[in-house]
Amino acid sequence: MPREKAAKRPKLAREGVTGRLHYFVERAFINIRQNVLVNVLSIVTIALAFLILSLFLLVYVNLERVTASWSDRVQITAYFDRELSSGEVTDLTGKIRAIHGTLDVGYISREEAFRRFYGRLKGQESLLEGVSPEILPSSIEIRLKRDSRDSQSVATYVTRLRQFPEIKEVQYGEEWVKRFDDFMNLIRFAGALVGGFIVLAVIFIVANTIKLTIYSRKDELELMGLVGATRMFIKAPFLIEGMIQGVAGVALALLVLTGAYMAFLHNADIFSGIGIMESGLVFLPLSHLAALLFGGAALGFMGSLASLKKFIAL
Amino acid sequence: MIQLHNVCMSYQRDATALSGISAKISKGEFVFLTGVSGAGKSTLLKLLYGALKPTRGQVVIDGVNITKLPPSQLPALRRKIGVVFQDFKLLPSRTVLENVAITLEVLGWGKKDINKRVYHILKQVGLEHKINSTPIRLSGGEQQRVAMARALVNDPKLILADEPTGNLDEESKERVFAILKEANVRGSTVVVATHDRRLIENSHKRFIVLDKGHVTEDSDAS
Repeated sequence: MPREKAAKRPKLAREGVTGRLHYFVERAFINIRQNVLVNVLSIVTIALAFLILSLFLLVYVNLERVTASWSDRVQITAYFDRELSSGEVTDLTGKIRAIHGTLDVGYISREEAFRRFYGRLKGQESLLEGVSPEILPSSIEIRLKRDSRDSQSVATYVTRLRQFPEIKEVQYGEEWVKRFDDFMNLIRFAGALVGGFIVLAVIFIVANTIKLTIYSRKDELELMGLVGATRMFIKAPFLIEGMIQGVAGVALALLVLTGAYMAFLHNADIFSGIGIMESGLVFLPLSHLAALLFGGAALGFMGSLASLKKFIAL
Repeated sequence: MIQLHNVCMSYQRDATALSGISAKISKGEFVFLTGVSGAGKSTLLKLLYGALKPTRGQVVIDGVNITKLPPSQLPALRRKIGVVFQDFKLLPSRTVLENVAITLEVLGWGKKDINKRVYHILKQVGLEHKINSTPIRLSGGEQQRVAMARALVNDPKLILADEPTGNLDEESKERVFAILKEANVRGSTVVVATHDRRLIENSHKRFIVLDKGHVTEDSDAS
């Protein structure tokens, strides 16, 4: 029997990369709408996982900020055994400024040192009666840049300072710098450890949540294959859906975190008593927010990809 | 259209589903595959649409030996075949329109053309008024017709139907069979797996009887 004319194939609507991408994105959003409950559950689970991670990051960022502000105390004082001429001061401070890690340099003359000393003896100024400024040495006070305040960098800096013949003695609170350095290392190690565990937990939770989402639609995957869809055609909307879930989950987490942060600031008086507020709390910087959103999208994509491999066997 | 050469299929070492099946089905033919449950009808259909690969033998569909077909080329073959599954395989979260449209979406049709074509095929199977319903709101017979509409919507060269009239009342059976006959008249080769002897007898079409994985009778050969 002769075959009648088959259904006339119309012009394809999704030719080219843009056309295909448009279809896949549209399909992903339709899929989300059609499976709204599963998607909402998935997004909320991802949000909870990322809320823990972003809360940890917020605490870590602020803790690092507070501890970094403590490092402002790191100061090096170089003493001279005589008063330097203004020409010598200009020359020496110029050379010191040229040393890597120098933030600022200030010359303290004997007169200035005496005035400061006098100021500290409030009420007991009579103790200095008959004493001349010559008993105090002139000095140079140096503050270092933040990245040069660890004990190793400070020690190297001091060694270079000692090479100037005008300088007789250098003081910089060696013990304090070392203890501070150890403390910062401990904070960083603990942060990396806890952060690492949280990141692993987030990966595990997100990957399994997306796996369950895909598992609940394995019939759809199977059918698509049976009606002749290519792997790419089946996978692409699911991968985009995974990315949307990841980004939506992170966005929800950041929204909740912002709300919690604002509430915390609103009640700042309660916490100011324990000194948290003095250093000035900050929210997560833009780079961290972008990294979290990117991480959500990447995890959603990878989670979908890994799960799809198990279900699509064309 | 279909050539089977000494096809054998075993799921496990000692569980043979098909053994030495050889048959030829020409273009435009309407053939019933029949036999008791477990005779191998569904397995044979699965081999025809590439869901399974035979343990031995060759399966040639429309000139393509699918036993040697790389997985990347299987989708192209499946687009020429409309399959009516025994369990319908309708997606519960999608409407009737969306369920039928899948076949055309895969082919890359545009939305407007899909809507027109789906409406047309649903009208043919008498379900145009259910276009926006979800499968769960349909009766068994209606679900079966949606599954058929999905298989027929792109006028495939080959239609494979696995027990399309199982569990349906007489009226629905007639309707489903009429739709398949119509598709056959339009030029599609149709292979229907069924154990409904009365349907076969009334149709006066070719039938192949399977028993324990062997062809025991082929009306065309007699």
